[in-house]
Amino acid sequence: MPEAPRFSDRETEPGAGPTPSNGAGTAATRAPGAMKPGRHREASLYHALGGAGAADGRTLAQLRADARAAMAQAPLPVWRRSGFWSTSFESLDFDALAGGADAGAPAGVPAVVERTLPERARAGRIVQADGGVVSLMLEPALAERGVILCSLEDAFAHHPELVARWYSKRLTIDRNKLEAANAALWSGGVFLYVPDELHVEDPFEIVYAITRPGIAQYARTLVVGAPHSDFRVHEYDLAEDFDSGQALFAGALELYLQDGARVRLAALQDFGSGEVYDSSTRVVEVGRDAYCHWLPALLGGHLVHQHLELAVAEPGGDMAFRGVFFAEEQEHLDVFAVDLHETGPSGGDVHWRGAATGESRASFEGLIKIDPGAQQTHTYLQIHSMMLSPKARLDAIPSVLVSSDDVSASHGGTVGELDEAAIFYMQTRGFDRAAAVRLIIEGFFEPLISELDDEPLAGVVREKIADKLAAAREDIETYATAR
Amino acid sequence: MADLEIRDLHVRIEDREILKGVDLDVSRGEIHALMGPNGSGKSTLASTLMGHPAYEITEGSITFKGEDITELEPHERAKAGLFLAFQYPVAIPGVSVANFLRMAINAKRAGIGDGEPPIGVKEFRTHLAHAIELLDVDRSFTSRHLNDGFSGGEKKRAEILQMAMLKPDVAILDETDSGLDIDALRTVAEGVQKLHDEQGLGALIITHYQRILHYVVPQFVHIMLDGRIVLEGGVELVERLEREGYDQIRAQFAAGEPDAVRASD
Repeated sequence: MPEAPRFSDRETEPGAGPTPSNGAGTAATRAPGAMKPGRHREASLYHALGGAGAADGRTLAQLRADARAAMAQAPLPVWRRSGFWSTSFESLDFDALAGGADAGAPAGVPAVVERTLPERARAGRIVQADGGVVSLMLEPALAERGVILCSLEDAFAHHPELVARWYSKRLTIDRNKLEAANAALWSGGVFLYVPDELHVEDPFEIVYAITRPGIAQYARTLVVGAPHSDFRVHEYDLAEDFDSGQALFAGALELYLQDGARVRLAALQDFGSGEVYDSSTRVVEVGRDAYCHWLPALLGGHLVHQHLELAVAEPGGDMAFRGVFFAEEQEHLDVFAVDLHETGPSGGDVHWRGAATGESRASFEGLIKIDPGAQQTHTYLQIHSMMLSPKARLDAIPSVLVSSDDVSASHGGTVGELDEAAIFYMQTRGFDRAAAVRLIIEGFFEPLISELDDEPLAGVVREKIADKLAAAREDIETYATAR
Repeated sequence: MADLEIRDLHVRIEDREILKGVDLDVSRGEIHALMGPNGSGKSTLASTLMGHPAYEITEGSITFKGEDITELEPHERAKAGLFLAFQYPVAIPGVSVANFLRMAINAKRAGIGDGEPPIGVKEFRTHLAHAIELLDVDRSFTSRHLNDGFSGGEKKRAEILQMAMLKPDVAILDETDSGLDIDALRTVAEGVQKLHDEQGLGALIITHYQRILHYVVPQFVHIMLDGRIVLEGGVELVERLEREGYDQIRAQFAAGEPDAVRASD
């Protein structure tokens, strides 16, 4: 049943239907400044970072000091979407964690990294384990061409002017305690610079791995694509499995695309069986006539809040913002994906798909924000989700905030359950029930996974989803029988 | 003994009895037509034969190749060599026709004996090329997602394509002719005929109309009314139906009529 479009500035009545996604694409444009009075408070919790100019001329040392002060003062973050969900990090024993450089680093590349990353050709690979970089490889030919891949610490030491120009250009440092902790305490870190006109086919792999409980990993990544560069980045956020104790991944990534640059940015997040908290902010800035294809695959963490923002900052910028998520067992996932248009003409296309099993909780809010003056922006947001367990809960809220009049912005989505007719159909072709279910779910994600346009990585994502489905088999079975 | 033997089959869905004692035999190499008006129970029979969970068998049995399959899961029936071409094939987004076929063939192979090895790439391609020719579809057809955005005719062609690739012993075609234009109908019907001629397929063609039977000629015709097969015979029954319509036959076998009559007796 199609519903009226929802706006992030409109509070939803508590107790209203659980799934506000629309049954079909619903056009939504919004007059400038049309905000219901007295309803600002909710909107303030899920708003765009809009962090342009965040560093504001401060040096790294000043930023660290300011962030440290903010960290000391702020409580652990709680995000609320009234009537839908609440994401609280209050269960994290933050003070007990060894963070940043204090987390130390193992001697070599952790087993989980060797186990997860596919065999493949790569342009470079940098691995940070816990508090420090433990492995770095860059194709010598690319180094000769001017590509820089190193720890962010080294980048500040060896390329201070280049780094200072971009560092924290858009990443804020004080919106909440964990963001501040990252900005204050990050160690190691990753810097990637791809020079003008350079096209690199194989991916640069950026890997963060947590090897043990009791630590906070403050992952800090800065990527710059110089004019007309064309490259791929694959980020992996991983953790070894562990049975007891907590760990924190507080990640911050900023990626800048200068005029005409193109990137395919993919991320695979899977923190394994341990109690790993993930509070991350990632922002991509798309410059003039630049293009970004971004696809995070969020496949597991105990409690996850990710703010992912794709900002078109210059005319002619275009982007495809994709994402998949899969929550299982007791996991809690909260994704806020922002499609921000600061100027026009610009294009956007947001398409996410997610599933939830077990007693997991998955919340997705997608926001299209078109700033004043971003004329001739055309963008579309769709979110499709699949509920695979009676105890799982999945909410998806598309929002549109438009402050220009010559634009088109619309959204749509579906919330689905397993289609028994499809299962029977496949059974009559010789698939047993479990195989049929697996094929349906894999097919559900496939349109996005194939968009990775990278078989080795697509293979890893497919395999992880298959593993999760196998683990949830009984649960999915019970659900289907109950219906 | 026939390959597929249906004996005194009574089926209900929820509280309603739909099939009230059906007897029917279908063997490899035979083409049967099962005709009847809407609501007579034809599609219920098709779904029941494949083991649809919504249909409850209250009496009777289904035997396939000498084995009672009444309690088997749908995929076990498929592996045994039964196939159902759906009246309304279901879309499977994200799964290409070629991939689906390859996985289905392998699923079937894995269930035979101790498990046969998966089909080789070359063998699969050869099969597929042959089947595609049979059905007059574009090569690109197999890279599309199964039934997703397919036209009615494409869906029915995809059903026959699956049948050609999975090589069942007995196929049930549930109103495969409905909603088809004449060209699609001819392609589909000729496909069935060829599979019969080349592979010895046994077919139970369920239809409301006579027109498909102009292209694929049944040796046996059964007419179903109100959950029972009331008339059986050869292809002459189709002609009689064309002349008289279901009403005359219904009048002959009005409710309360004791037993079905075998017209050929």
